[in-house]
Amino acid sequence: MSPSPRPELVTDGFPSKRPRWQQLATSADHKDVGQILICGALGFLFIALIELVLMRIQLLVPENTFLDPVSFNRMLSLYGASAIFFFALPLALGLFYYVTPLQIGARSTALPRLGQIGLGLWGAGAVVLYAGFTFTPSEAGVNPLPPLSEVAFLSNNGVDAWVTATGLATLGFLFLSINLVATLRTMRAPGLAWRRVPVFAWAAAVSAWLMVVVGPVLLAALTMLMIDRHYDGIFFADGAGGAPLLWQHLSWIFYTGSYMLILIFAFGAIAEIVATFARKPLFNRTVVMASLAAIAVIGTLAWIQNMLTAPIGIGWMYYGMLMALALIVPFGLVIFNLIATLAGGTLRMRAPLLFAIGAIFSISIGLAAEVCHSLVAAAWHLKNTTDATASTHFALIGGSVFGGFAALHYWFPKMTGRTMGESLARLSFWTILVGLLLGFVPLFLAGTEQGQVIDAYKYFDGTGVNAYNLIASIGVFILFIGIVLTIVNAITSRENGAEAGHDPWGGETLEWFTLSPPEAHNFDVLPDVRSPRPLRDIREAIGNRTRRSEQATARESQPVA
Amino acid sequence: MAPHSPGTDQIDTLLWIGIVAAGLLMVAVTVALLYVVRRFRSERGVEPRQLLSGRRLQFRVGAVLTFFAAVLFVLGIVYTDNARERPTTGDAGLASLKGEPLKIKATGQQWLWRYDYPNGAFSYYKLVVPVDTAVELELLSTDVVHTWNVADLARKADAVPGKTNRVFFSADEEGSFKGDSATLSGQAYASMRTEVEAVSAEEYEEFLETQLKDIETAQDRVVDLIENGETP
Repeated sequence: MSPSPRPELVTDGFPSKRPRWQQLATSADHKDVGQILICGALGFLFIALIELVLMRIQLLVPENTFLDPVSFNRMLSLYGASAIFFFALPLALGLFYYVTPLQIGARSTALPRLGQIGLGLWGAGAVVLYAGFTFTPSEAGVNPLPPLSEVAFLSNNGVDAWVTATGLATLGFLFLSINLVATLRTMRAPGLAWRRVPVFAWAAAVSAWLMVVVGPVLLAALTMLMIDRHYDGIFFADGAGGAPLLWQHLSWIFYTGSYMLILIFAFGAIAEIVATFARKPLFNRTVVMASLAAIAVIGTLAWIQNMLTAPIGIGWMYYGMLMALALIVPFGLVIFNLIATLAGGTLRMRAPLLFAIGAIFSISIGLAAEVCHSLVAAAWHLKNTTDATASTHFALIGGSVFGGFAALHYWFPKMTGRTMGESLARLSFWTILVGLLLGFVPLFLAGTEQGQVIDAYKYFDGTGVNAYNLIASIGVFILFIGIVLTIVNAITSRENGAEAGHDPWGGETLEWFTLSPPEAHNFDVLPDVRSPRPLRDIREAIGNRTRRSEQATARESQPVA
Repeated sequence: MAPHSPGTDQIDTLLWIGIVAAGLLMVAVTVALLYVVRRFRSERGVEPRQLLSGRRLQFRVGAVLTFFAAVLFVLGIVYTDNARERPTTGDAGLASLKGEPLKIKATGQQWLWRYDYPNGAFSYYKLVVPVDTAVELELLSTDVVHTWNVADLARKADAVPGKTNRVFFSADEEGSFKGDSATLSGQAYASMRTEVEAVSAEEYEEFLETQLKDIETAQDRVVDLIENGETP
C-alpha cells in the first residue's frame, strides 16, 4: 500500500465492504440521491424522445398509418408523463438536491431519510408508468381531462397506471422539496444570510416552496379522479353535482407551477454559469432573486391562461391575461440582468456557457410566443394548435434540456472529478439547436397560419401543413441525435473524461471549496462567509498576503543604506 | 386563417399585435445575446470590472417592461371585447328573426358534431347557416370535452358536459368553412371534423324544410317497418 498523502485521522469509520450499487440503493446522502435522480432523469429523457420520434414519424406525411390512433394516444400520454414527471422535474430537483447543500456549506441535509423516501416514491412511479406496457398505457393524453379519463370512457387500467405513477412521483417530489426547504432554511454556513446565498440555492428554495404548494393540489385532483373511477365518485362527473372544469383548474395549477419551476431552475443555474464564465458578479443580484420569487407566485396564478376556451366568465379570462402579461416584467428583468452580466465580461466560451446562452435564447422565444397565448382573443385562435406545442417546447426544452445540460456540464466535474468532452459537447449543442429550430419553428407556422390542432394522430392532405410537419419530423429526429450525444458524452466522461481538479471553472461559491467528488461529509472546514462570493474573498486574501510577503521580502533584500 | 366574421376579424388583428409583440421580444433578446457573445470573448484578456448593480438602469428597464405589458393588456381587453360583440343580422340575412340571433344547438359527441335547428331538423357533420345572419351557437357535449373550432368564422370554444358555452358569428359571404375539434377526445379525435356552409337566406329555409321532411320520412319508414314486425 502506498502511503496516504492525507493525515491519518479517520473521520468516516471503516470503509464500507458493500458493493457500490448497494451503497447507492441504501444511501440517504444527498449526493447519492441527487445523482440517481439526475441519471434516472436522463434515462427517461431518452425514452421520452423515442416516444416523441415515434409520434413524429406518424406525422411525417398526411394520413399516415405508422401508428394506429390508440397507439398514438398511448405514446402521447407516456411522452407527457415521462417528459414532465420523469425528466424535467427530477432533473431540476436532482441537481438542486446534489448541489445546493454543497453551495450553502451543509455537511448533510436536514431530513435525509425523507429525501431518500422521496427518491423511492419517484422510482416506484416510474416503474408503475412503464409497467403499464404489460397491460395498457393511458390513452388520455398529456393532461387527462375528465370525463375522457373517467371509467365510462376509458375503462382499462391505463389511466389508473398514469394516475398512480404521477401521484407517486409527485409525492416523491414533495418529500424531496420539504427536505430542500428545511435544509436551505436551517443548515446554511455561518454568515451565509439569505441575501448572500448563491442564486441557484435561492432558486432551489423558491422551487421547493412552489412544489410544496402545487404538488398537493395535483395529489388532491388525482385522488378525486381515482375515487371517481373506482368508488362511484362524482367529483368530475357532470349531471350529478360534479364539475369537469374542476379538474382543469386543479391540474393546470400544478402544470403551470411546474412550468415555472423548470424555468426558475434553469435561470438559477444560468445565473451561476454566466457569472462564473464572464468572471463578473451577477448584475443586480437582488433583482434577479426577487424576480425568481415573483415568477413562482405570478406564474402559478396565471393558470387560467390554459383555460381560455372553457365555459368560464370573461372576468376570469382577463385575470389570467393580467397575470400572464405581468410575467413579462420579472422574466424580462431576469433575462436582461443575465445578458447584462455577460456584457463587459471576459467570456470563456466553454460548454456550460454555450448551453446557458442556448437556454436564454430558447426560453425567450418560448416565452415571447406565450405572450400571444395570453391575449385572450388571440388565444381563442391559438389555443390547442401546434403553436402551443411549439411555444411550450421552446420554453421547456430551453429550460430543462439547454438549461439542464448547462447545469450538468457545469457541475459534472464536481460530481465525478472529470469534465465532459468539450468537442462532443459543442457538436451536441449545435445539433440540438438546429433540431429545435427545425422541429418546432414549422409548428409555430402550422398552428398560427393553418390552425393545425395538437394531439391528433393524423392530419389531412390539402390543409396546407404537409411541408411543416415533414420539416418538424426531421427536426425532432436531429434534436434526438443531439440530445443522445450529450447523454453519451456524460456516460463516457464519467470514467474517461479529462481530470478536472477540484475547481475547474474558478467558481466562487462554496461547492467549489470542497473536493471533487466531495467526501461523504462534504466539508472538513468551512470559511466564514462575508459576501455572496466567499471563494473570491479567500482568493483575494491569499493574493493580498502573497503581495505583502513579497513586498516584505523585497524590503528585506534591499541593502541597508 | 382568413376571417369571415366580424369577431374573427378582431381575433386576427389581436393575433397580429401579439405576433409583433412576441417578435419584438425575440429579436431584442437574440440580438442582445449575439452582440455580447461576439463583443466580449475572453481573448480580450482583461479582468472585467466587477459591476454589482445599476439601480437607475434597472428601474428604466423595469418601467419599459411594465409599460409594454400594460399596453398589451389594454389592447388585449379592447380587441377581446370587440371580438365578443354580438354580430347583427344584415340586409342579406334571414329576415324572420327580427334582430334576434339564429339559435342553433351544436352537440359534440364522440366523434361527430350534431347540429339542431330551430324547426326541429338536425344535421350531422355539416352546419348550414344563412349568410349575413347573426348565429348563436349553443355548445353542448354528451360525453367528453370537445372543442368546436372553425377558425374562419368564430373563436374556439369548449363543449363541456353539463355546461353551455356560447359562440356568436355571422358569415360575411357564401361558401364552406372547414373546421375540426381541438381537444383530445379519444381514438377518432383527428377525424372529428366539421364544416359550416353559409348559404343565402332562401336556400337556408329550403334546406331546413327538406331536411325536416327527409328526417320525418325516414322516421315514418322506421315506424312502418317496426309495425310490420321487421327490424329497421
